[in-house]
Amino acid sequence: MESTRTKRRDHRLFILSFASFACVILALYFASIGTTIVYTHLFYIPLILAGMWYKKKAVYLALLLGAAHIFMTLFFIYPFPLMETSERAVMFVVVSYAIGFVSDKWAKGEEKLKETKDYLDDIIKSSADAIVVVDTDGTVRSWNKAAEDYMGYAADEVIGTPNKKFFAEPEEAERIMAIVQREGELKNYRATVLNKDKKLVHISMSAALLKDKNGVPIGTVRVSRDVTKEVELEEKIKEERDNLNLILESMADGVYIVSKDYKVEFMNKVLSDVFGYHVGEVCYKVFHNRAEPCPRCKNSEVMKGKTVRWEWRSHRNDLTYDLFETPLGNIDGTISKLTIFRDISERKRIEDELREAEERYRVIFEYALTSLCVIEENGRISLANQEFALLSGYSREEIVGKKWADFIADEDRDRVQNYCAERKEGGAPACIPFNFVHRNGEIRHVNAWIEPIPGANRCIASLLDITELKRKEDELRETCERLTELDKMKRDFLNVAYHEMRSPLAPIVGYASLLESCKLPDKGRRYLYNIEQSAKELDMMINRMLQLATIDGKKIDLILEEFALHEVVQEVVKSVEPTAKKKNLVISMAVPEIKIQADKEKTAAIFSNLIFNAIKYTEEGGRIDVSAEEREEDIKACVADTGIGIPEEHLPKIFERFYMVDTSLTRKPGSLGLGLSIVKEYVKLHGGKVWATSEPGKGSNFFFIMPKRQR
Amino acid sequence: MDKKRVLIVEDAAYMREMLAEMLEQEKDRYEVVDFAVNGKEAVEKYKELKPDLVTMDLAMEVMDGLQAIKVIKDYDPNALIIAITALGTPEQKNAALDAGAGEYLWKPFSIKNLFDALEKLQRKSEE
Repeated sequence: MESTRTKRRDHRLFILSFASFACVILALYFASIGTTIVYTHLFYIPLILAGMWYKKKAVYLALLLGAAHIFMTLFFIYPFPLMETSERAVMFVVVSYAIGFVSDKWAKGEEKLKETKDYLDDIIKSSADAIVVVDTDGTVRSWNKAAEDYMGYAADEVIGTPNKKFFAEPEEAERIMAIVQREGELKNYRATVLNKDKKLVHISMSAALLKDKNGVPIGTVRVSRDVTKEVELEEKIKEERDNLNLILESMADGVYIVSKDYKVEFMNKVLSDVFGYHVGEVCYKVFHNRAEPCPRCKNSEVMKGKTVRWEWRSHRNDLTYDLFETPLGNIDGTISKLTIFRDISERKRIEDELREAEERYRVIFEYALTSLCVIEENGRISLANQEFALLSGYSREEIVGKKWADFIADEDRDRVQNYCAERKEGGAPACIPFNFVHRNGEIRHVNAWIEPIPGANRCIASLLDITELKRKEDELRETCERLTELDKMKRDFLNVAYHEMRSPLAPIVGYASLLESCKLPDKGRRYLYNIEQSAKELDMMINRMLQLATIDGKKIDLILEEFALHEVVQEVVKSVEPTAKKKNLVISMAVPEIKIQADKEKTAAIFSNLIFNAIKYTEEGGRIDVSAEEREEDIKACVADTGIGIPEEHLPKIFERFYMVDTSLTRKPGSLGLGLSIVKEYVKLHGGKVWATSEPGKGSNFFFIMPKRQR
Repeated sequence: MDKKRVLIVEDAAYMREMLAEMLEQEKDRYEVVDFAVNGKEAVEKYKELKPDLVTMDLAMEVMDGLQAIKVIKDYDPNALIIAITALGTPEQKNAALDAGAGEYLWKPFSIKNLFDALEKLQRKSEE
């Protein structure tokens, strides 16, 4: 550029020098032939050229040519026209200056314009964005460096060719042109183009319409930028967002994303199952039924980049949520709020229940009537209840931190501690009695359960103060021993008494029987009879006493044998018949042939006692019915009389020892109230049952049931 | 028929006398050879007199009836002894029979009871 300019200038200088020289030669020639009118007018030609080319510097040429004119005129024209000659020389200078001035002004304007153009060119060339000019036909007219860079085509290759071929979709070119023509411009238009290597390039394009000075569109100028990286990034972000949504969808917790202006952008299934699907709606309206953002809303905090966590109770479904809210950057640079709704109602409920249970157990612990304390791993007590305080004599505050072992009497300490250790290792639970040491050194007897608390390295000891119980037990044992001794004494006494009472009875009975063979007056015989009867009564009574004494001594064993019941009953009836006859009583017997296995003597005693009892309380001329029936497992027997009967209120008591319905009856012979008592004991020994029914004045029925076999 | 010679063993005098009186009622059949007041004496007298029958009270001092029965039975397994006692328990009865008594008589007894028992005892020995 610079060189061409210098070249052109040299060229001009040559033309100017040649023109000036030619003019001087011509002027010399015209002067020599005497034509002086035009000769120096030729000098205007180089002067005009110099003025045009060299601007004001033309004055120097004008001065040179003016001098040449004056010299030639002085040499060739006589008389020398000084005035005209000077005038012309001055004219030369004036004209050349004027032309120089004008041309200088013009040249300066042009220079400025050129500079501006160069500047623009520079901008276009050095721009990072591709700047391409396309005319209305779609032909590329300009193609800058940046365009070369990302398209791979050099300007020479593409200028003058249609731009259609650059687009991935050729129609795109027309579309852009149409938009620009219609709108006059295009902003941030996304298009995909193919570079020289046929690779796809994403561009963002802005375009403006180019018009000529008459306002007719002549083309478009397009500024575009390679945004392939950005597009890829966007896609990646979008993909990540999709993945995130997928993760959020599959979460067990509820999730939503809310924009800065409270619009729900996303809701996962868990949340929409509970609250309904509300994407696109305003969160405070759909979740809280509010007309404006909630007072507790953390949106602004989250928008500032903070992550918050808080508890929220939904009145819609009465559930409590642990909310975790965190900012989430969007592709467009805005921030949304991601909220995780964790349903903690269940946890809360469990916590409440746990608290309640703990309170319940605390109350049980506090108000238990046993002494309770918690023993830590280091053997010190960490907690004790009121009862423990009472037992130990210390206040509850004092107990805390005390050694458990100090409460155990020396002789028991090892045993209790060993038990604790065994129990911790899974030994069987057991109640362990030991001596507890009170604050004042007093020993209390306690029964203890010491249980390891599952999942913790401590034990709970439950102590029951049995000192008083033990004392009572000792007392009781003593009493019992004394009673046993007394009982033995009683039995011994009875045995002796029995022997001693019977011994004198022997000569009475014996001599009475001897007397029978003697000759006695009738009166004497009657006396003898009375003596014999009384002796028999006495004998029977003594026998019964012995029987009962042996029952009380609990040394009765059944002597079991198989026998025919009716035979036994028959014998008994036979033996009592003489007595019955004296009272003019009829005894009937209705006992079938039954074989039973029992104590024969005692069975006979049962019948004889019942029958004697019936005879005793039945007036003369009455009757006694003895019956028995065989049943599946047992026999049921009955002794019925037509005696005086027993009032109902006495029925349950008649089998009690020495019980008598009417004390006045005691004077009756043989009545010591022992007979029925013996019956009851003997039936009981056989595992049976005895009872009576009665109608006073009409008679009584005595029943008993006895198993046919003893196991 | 030979008279049966009876040794009466009883610590109580009135009982000895009564038994003698009772046997006196059948003096054609029974004859009291002697009395003994305790078991020891009974054994001695049995060895000395060789009675046909013995009435033996069980409750006695020095040596009781049960022991005496055993000793006599050891000495003479054919000895016929009636145990007499006031303590009428089945246990005592069995103890006496086990010791070797042939019969058992329970105080108080009538003259009839005594002779029944004596005859029963003799019948048993004859069988």
